[in-house]
Amino acid sequence: MKLTAKPLAVILFVILFGSIIFTTAMNWWQTESQKVPATFTEGEAAGEYNPADIRGSYTFQDIENSFKVPVEDLAKAFAIPADRDAAAYAIKDLETLYAVQAEAGTEIGTGSVRYFTALYTGLPYELVEETFLPAPAVELLKSKATLTVEQLAYLEAHSIALEVPMTTLTQVPTEEVKLEEENTDTILKGKTTFQELLDWGVSPEFIVSTIGAAIPAPGVKVKDYCTEANLNFEEIKVVLQAEIDRLNP
Amino acid sequence: MTIAKYWNKFTRRRIWVRNLVQIFFFALIALISVNHTLAESGKGIPFLSSASLHALCPFGGVVTIYQYAVSGTFVQKIHESAFILMIVGFILAILFGPVFCGWICPFGSIQEWFGRLGKKIFKRRYNRFIPAKFDRWLRYLRYLVLAWIVYMTAASGSLVFAEFDPYFTLFNLWSSEIAIGGLIILVVTLAGSLFVERPWCKYACPYGAVLGVSNLFRIFRIRRVAGTCKLDGACDIYCPMNIKVSDKTIVRDHQCISCLECTSEARCPAAGTVDFVAGAK
Repeated sequence: MKLTAKPLAVILFVILFGSIIFTTAMNWWQTESQKVPATFTEGEAAGEYNPADIRGSYTFQDIENSFKVPVEDLAKAFAIPADRDAAAYAIKDLETLYAVQAEAGTEIGTGSVRYFTALYTGLPYELVEETFLPAPAVELLKSKATLTVEQLAYLEAHSIALEVPMTTLTQVPTEEVKLEEENTDTILKGKTTFQELLDWGVSPEFIVSTIGAAIPAPGVKVKDYCTEANLNFEEIKVVLQAEIDRLNP
Repeated sequence: MTIAKYWNKFTRRRIWVRNLVQIFFFALIALISVNHTLAESGKGIPFLSSASLHALCPFGGVVTIYQYAVSGTFVQKIHESAFILMIVGFILAILFGPVFCGWICPFGSIQEWFGRLGKKIFKRRYNRFIPAKFDRWLRYLRYLVLAWIVYMTAASGSLVFAEFDPYFTLFNLWSSEIAIGGLIILVVTLAGSLFVERPWCKYACPYGAVLGVSNLFRIFRIRRVAGTCKLDGACDIYCPMNIKVSDKTIVRDHQCISCLECTSEARCPAAGTVDFVAGAK
């Protein structure tokens, strides 16, 4: 059977565009991400969405939809300008927002959002490259996530202070500012949080050895934790206060 | 010159319909790529796809095979459409050989168009600059490129080739997505096309390397009938891939791109001597 150019051209068009039409009709033809990450196939997180599969094309709303991380927290963590629609903010745009940091070798981009999301949700995540987070993201994780000593140390070492004028950033809730202002004395009280212990210089290792477990979410009150963990708050308080006094004479 | 004369010149002893198909796909991809940029600022052209080039490149499907097999996901920037186009490319290759390269690929087309300028400059010396003893081995370079890209993509889970892809660069010259590596390769390739026909296809194209394998088992093949052959070498001279068709009965060369320029429909002066036929052995 001999084939010449014109029938070949027709066959090419029929096969190529026929395939596209057919797969479109079957809803298989997708030219952009479904904005739904892959799920873990094994381990304790099997069935959960995998933060490592977050793509640069995802918006903060997509992250909230899959990982239940509120858009407001993402906007605050990554200091998205207040005049931008945080829900529609594409993660890849962080590269532009943090171009200065990228030039300095401390890129904040898709990898940062993946790591932030993993820590925020407590999902497994393997760091394949050095990852930096803006300081507000680190502060937010300290207050809302359950971090291990290693994770806390990594975050402290990879926190990038922002030089962007704060007026352009998402406003930090006033209660948090007040909280920082109120606790300038170094007396361990019923409302003292683990974050305050850390701020007063108590090392994560000392806290871990005192409470006999990993530090919970830094925003958790020490007293509440002790009650929940069946620990004697008064005894713990004496040990921690001695360390605080030693560090803050 | 009248339109009729232009048309006569255009269609004279060449597979002109292939040229029309090439222009169509080049224009289509260029328009889609421009529309992709416009759509990002909310000014996209209605009724025209605004997909990214990665979504429309069948080689994207090839590089994501490993990740898809292992985790069921695609490499970043690659989507289902690229996977589907890869399968279509394979079907076409099994039927007709690397017809995607010779008829559809816009980057192959632009090399050919630059090559026409080279032919005007160098006449018969064009496409004959590289000594055969080197050229023969250089043709296998594209398999090394293919192996490197497939390995690096599997190892990193990212589209490493995007940093060097001259095709992607060509259609994103106006965007901020191009990389300096891709730009250098694009310029070198187009400049090289003035001396050698389709240099990227011959020496470096990883997708051409994949499709080229189909020349060993494709259904429709280039067949030369020795009994009626005038041995004038026209088929050899006009083959863009420098395949010596005149000493073969069936062309199984891994570089054939099924352009049909060697056939009796185009350059071969003897009717029914070099044809594109099914089942030839």
